[in-house]
Amino acid sequence: MKALLTLLAISSTAAHCTSDSFTEELFIKPLYTEHIYSHFHFSTIWNTDLFSEKFRHTHLFPRALGEIIKRHNVQELHLSLTAGLWRYETWGYPVTSAAPGAELWAWFKSDTEDVNSNWKDLASSLSGLICASFNFIDSSNSVSPQYSFWPNGVINEQKVNSSFLRYSSLPREIVCTENLTPWKKLLPCESKKGLASLLNSGYIHNTRYHSLSIHFRPICRDPKCKFTSIEVQQSVDLVYDYLILGSRNWSVRKLFGQGILGPCPLAKSSTVYVDVSSNSTFPFQLSPEPHEFVYSSRGGYESKFAKYEITEQPLALAANYIDKPSVVINSPPALHANQYLTGYGQELGGIVTKLFNNHWNTLDVVVLQNIPWYVPIYLHTLKILSNGVVLEPLSLKYIPGKLRERPYYLEIVLTLPPRSTTLISINFEHVFLKWTEYPPDASHGFYISSSVISSLLPLARNYTGLPQDATMIVDSFNKSGYGYLVQVRTEAMVVTLPTPDFSMPYNVICLACTVVALAFGPLHNITTKRLVLKPDNKEGLVGKIKQKLDVIKSKLTGTKEKSEDSSSK
Amino acid sequence: MGILTDPSAGQGKITKAIISYHPKLSILLYISGITWFCFLAYTPLNAGTYFSENALLPGLVKSEFRDDGSAKLFYDELQDEMKKYDNSIPYPWILAKFQQIGLDTYTHNFTLNYPLGKSNTKYNGKNVYGILRAPRAGSTESLVMSVPYRPPTNINPTTAPGVAIMLAFAKHANRQKYWSKDIIFLITEHEQLGIQAWLEAYYHVVCGRRGVLDHGDLRGRGGAIQAAINLEFHDINIDRMDIKVEGLNGQLPNLDLFNLATRMCTKEGISHTFKNRENRNYRDPVKDWNYAFQTLMTMIFTQASGVPNGNHGLYHRFGIQALTLEGFSDRKTTNPGNFLSVGRILESIFRSLNNLLERFHQSYFFYLLPSSDRFISIGLYIPSVCFIAGALFLKACGKWFRLYKYLINLSEMSAEDKRNLELTENANENIKIISICGIFLFTHTIGILLMNSPKLITTVGSQYGYNTELSLYGGFAIIFVLLLMIPVLITIKTCYKSMTVLHVVALLEAATSLICLSMYNFSLGLIVGTFYVPILLLLEPCRCRAYSVIQKLLWFIAHPFVTLTLLVTIYTIFNFPNESFGENVLRGISATQQAVVFAIVDFMIYSNWLYGVITCVMVPNWICFWCVLFSTAKTDAYITIEKKND
Repeated sequence: MKALLTLLAISSTAAHCTSDSFTEELFIKPLYTEHIYSHFHFSTIWNTDLFSEKFRHTHLFPRALGEIIKRHNVQELHLSLTAGLWRYETWGYPVTSAAPGAELWAWFKSDTEDVNSNWKDLASSLSGLICASFNFIDSSNSVSPQYSFWPNGVINEQKVNSSFLRYSSLPREIVCTENLTPWKKLLPCESKKGLASLLNSGYIHNTRYHSLSIHFRPICRDPKCKFTSIEVQQSVDLVYDYLILGSRNWSVRKLFGQGILGPCPLAKSSTVYVDVSSNSTFPFQLSPEPHEFVYSSRGGYESKFAKYEITEQPLALAANYIDKPSVVINSPPALHANQYLTGYGQELGGIVTKLFNNHWNTLDVVVLQNIPWYVPIYLHTLKILSNGVVLEPLSLKYIPGKLRERPYYLEIVLTLPPRSTTLISINFEHVFLKWTEYPPDASHGFYISSSVISSLLPLARNYTGLPQDATMIVDSFNKSGYGYLVQVRTEAMVVTLPTPDFSMPYNVICLACTVVALAFGPLHNITTKRLVLKPDNKEGLVGKIKQKLDVIKSKLTGTKEKSEDSSSK
Repeated sequence: MGILTDPSAGQGKITKAIISYHPKLSILLYISGITWFCFLAYTPLNAGTYFSENALLPGLVKSEFRDDGSAKLFYDELQDEMKKYDNSIPYPWILAKFQQIGLDTYTHNFTLNYPLGKSNTKYNGKNVYGILRAPRAGSTESLVMSVPYRPPTNINPTTAPGVAIMLAFAKHANRQKYWSKDIIFLITEHEQLGIQAWLEAYYHVVCGRRGVLDHGDLRGRGGAIQAAINLEFHDINIDRMDIKVEGLNGQLPNLDLFNLATRMCTKEGISHTFKNRENRNYRDPVKDWNYAFQTLMTMIFTQASGVPNGNHGLYHRFGIQALTLEGFSDRKTTNPGNFLSVGRILESIFRSLNNLLERFHQSYFFYLLPSSDRFISIGLYIPSVCFIAGALFLKACGKWFRLYKYLINLSEMSAEDKRNLELTENANENIKIISICGIFLFTHTIGILLMNSPKLITTVGSQYGYNTELSLYGGFAIIFVLLLMIPVLITIKTCYKSMTVLHVVALLEAATSLICLSMYNFSLGLIVGTFYVPILLLLEPCRCRAYSVIQKLLWFIAHPFVTLTLLVTIYTIFNFPNESFGENVLRGISATQQAVVFAIVDFMIYSNWLYGVITCVMVPNWICFWCVLFSTAKTDAYITIEKKND
């Protein structure tokens, strides 16, 4: 009987083993500016059904994440923690784009009853899982965008109902080691083996941009999509600056503090890709020689990748530039955007989003703005000007915010004219907050999160993003499609709200306490002590002194005085 | 208010005291106000400066700036480039340098449509700026380092060394990974105009009159600007750093920033000055006071004009704390320059600012400086101007009680006396509130029209072929003469009661506006108060012809227009004693004309309040008092009644 049970247990484990897989990839791309971009991509696929899976037992899939997903009825989950800002204008597009600070969006299953409470609980659980302040996310700073975010994975329903979607971002979040450590623990090999061992916080936080992300979704198991699997993609995006590194010649050791010591034993594949497309303009020599060159033609653009399969042999990957550095003229990508505040003073202000279309044709874009309730915007002041001409939006969704309950949600669909600069401006008013609503550093300002501009680009120039059905980076090679989805995130903004002088209440409290204390003493004395009538001593100061002297004298002389006294009597 | 409305109030002790002693008390208040102010410069009566903001951590890090060699190189290259560009910034060179350093580089175009005169003159300008993107932040906050570029043809001393050190600092800073705020390196053209246009473009606002300054658009931004340092280095060898703080409309930067700059200069061993005066410590208290008082007064005069004494002054409006470091070379030596220490000063200042977690909000925004290490806070200096304005309030109060007493006396008078009185004056006439309000409305409307008149005056003037200066000055002179006629139109001149009420209201307006003014720009308030209050205390309509003429003459001189002309002419005469008197007067008048034009242009471009305050507040108030002086009410009778009753 015992033997049978053991056998069963072994067989079930074996079943799990075959049903999930883990891959790890590192993608390095020298950017045209003085930067180098490296992207770690870890993906786990588990051939199980999201609806029936209980997440009691997992093999490669992170169980901690699975339990949260199960408990909060999550269909799809995307979270990112980012420090710095991805500079689209000079760097092109990243593999996964993320807003500065923390960003979270999730689809809930269509049978979820109370999405808002699930959303809040989910955020709180995730906050515990990766030590970030997601617990500040609730319905007062979340929106349900209609156009900007669509499910990335498989869905059961024909019609997408955005009421099961929640999106929020916390631009104030500061991302650091404390987030990286729990994030690494979700990987099968953690940071002990494989590519994840390169993620040393001492090195990866010295970058111009770093971003951690987790993307969870159900996917099709095969092209027919009869069965579904679940997939989690974990990625780290890093942009190093040659100026901070000290030279243009980079090596894995210089970037991450150590060489690649071997693959994660649990990984199905462990690969490094180096984008060598720029080698023709800026020749650099890779050492050691790559195992193979991979050519990719995508969206009208050719790329060449050097591929390294990681074996048990340590790999000290390095690149040496052959020519002297020269300044290149930057050619910005098709679509990028800025966002900034206008006006000064503490009464009125404005938010301007500037969209640049560098493409020769028109571009359809969706602009999503999630404006916090403490910055009430006026819709009638919304102006959209493209090269000085008023542009009518194709569609405009707006839900006004409510004080302390709901943010202002604005989503605009636009057709940008070819080679144009479009300004979307809207005015707002500064509000007074309750004194408990100010953060400890009240004069720092309040954040307005970045807006998200989504578009399907017709060309894949400067584009490294993954297609929707891809799990690994290798899936994106030679994958031309109808369009290439980009989601450009703009800068977050800091607005100064009228801030009271917080030391003043403190002073008032001090003063009031002093007064109370002064009043309390005498009152306490009067009420608790018995008042006794004291015989009136009318002798005055001289008399008192005389009396004291007499007492002293009597003590000194003792009986002598007594006799004198009696004699005088 | 009880004291004013209670019928029995007139009998109170205080009321009686005010009625009988208010002239002396007013003078006492005025003198005590002035004395109070004068004593503030005395060292034991003011406070030493200190850091309030702990996050600044000034001078805590070791200076690492070592790029003085490249600063020297940049300077030499710039000298060569400047020869090719007589009248503008050497754009290609600066843009190339910014790009090589690795900054995001942008240019900014702006246009000034000169607001006066008939012809629409346009001036174009172009600023250059580069943004160092902080690796640890998402461009939410930034700091600015700016240099006003002066081409070789400019009469002002060169600022090229400032450009060189800025580039060297940018080169050094861009290699560091500790920046948490973007740093914007800005080189502006056309002095204050360039920086004003850049700031307006950054915030997308128009500060002056619409259509005057076309600020253009900026392509790159760096979020909320926390602080700015403006550099005016005149030599590669800097021995002395003058720190300038006075901004537009007398605004000042946070005292913490000023302290930071002084401490960092001291740390790097470059002596710093304030108002070009070093800190001196005299043993003798009188000497000590005298030296500090002179420094204080220099600051007061600069602040009062409301004209910024450097490009830093235009940042203040936007809540950006800014100051100018002006570097001088004292010795004419040939040593190779001290870019190293200057660069380290900049490094220390910017690293401290980089530490800021919140925007500057601690420390003082309202202060006066008798030296660079001592300050007078608003709590100490505001009583002086309150005393000065209090003299006017007291006088108004005294006049009101007097009027009140007069009314009581009238009602208590016997019928016969009353009849006698009516023969000499119309005592039965009531206070004509409507007329008084009418005068007030009329004079203030004139003020507002006057404020908006320059465009019209210059257009009309240019049609007759006069230049802007002359047509403005002439136009104002004509308006001034016309306004002198206003008392002719006043119908209540003979009514003692109405004229007294007008006098009281005018006094109250003068006192209130004085206090309001000194809240915004203390120096201006103080100077106006010191000058006007004694004259206002003297003004009292009386029957003595000679005294009345003297008063009118005095008040005539006190008109801002006359005062300005006189002051400038006297200043010219003292400055050029060799010239003939007539020549000097002409020169003085032409200087006045220019001053008027400058004030108006400042008002239209930067919205400097000085011109607005003079035309909208001071001139109407002046006319009110001018009307009061023409009162023909006979007050003798009332004085006799008063005596009889007493």
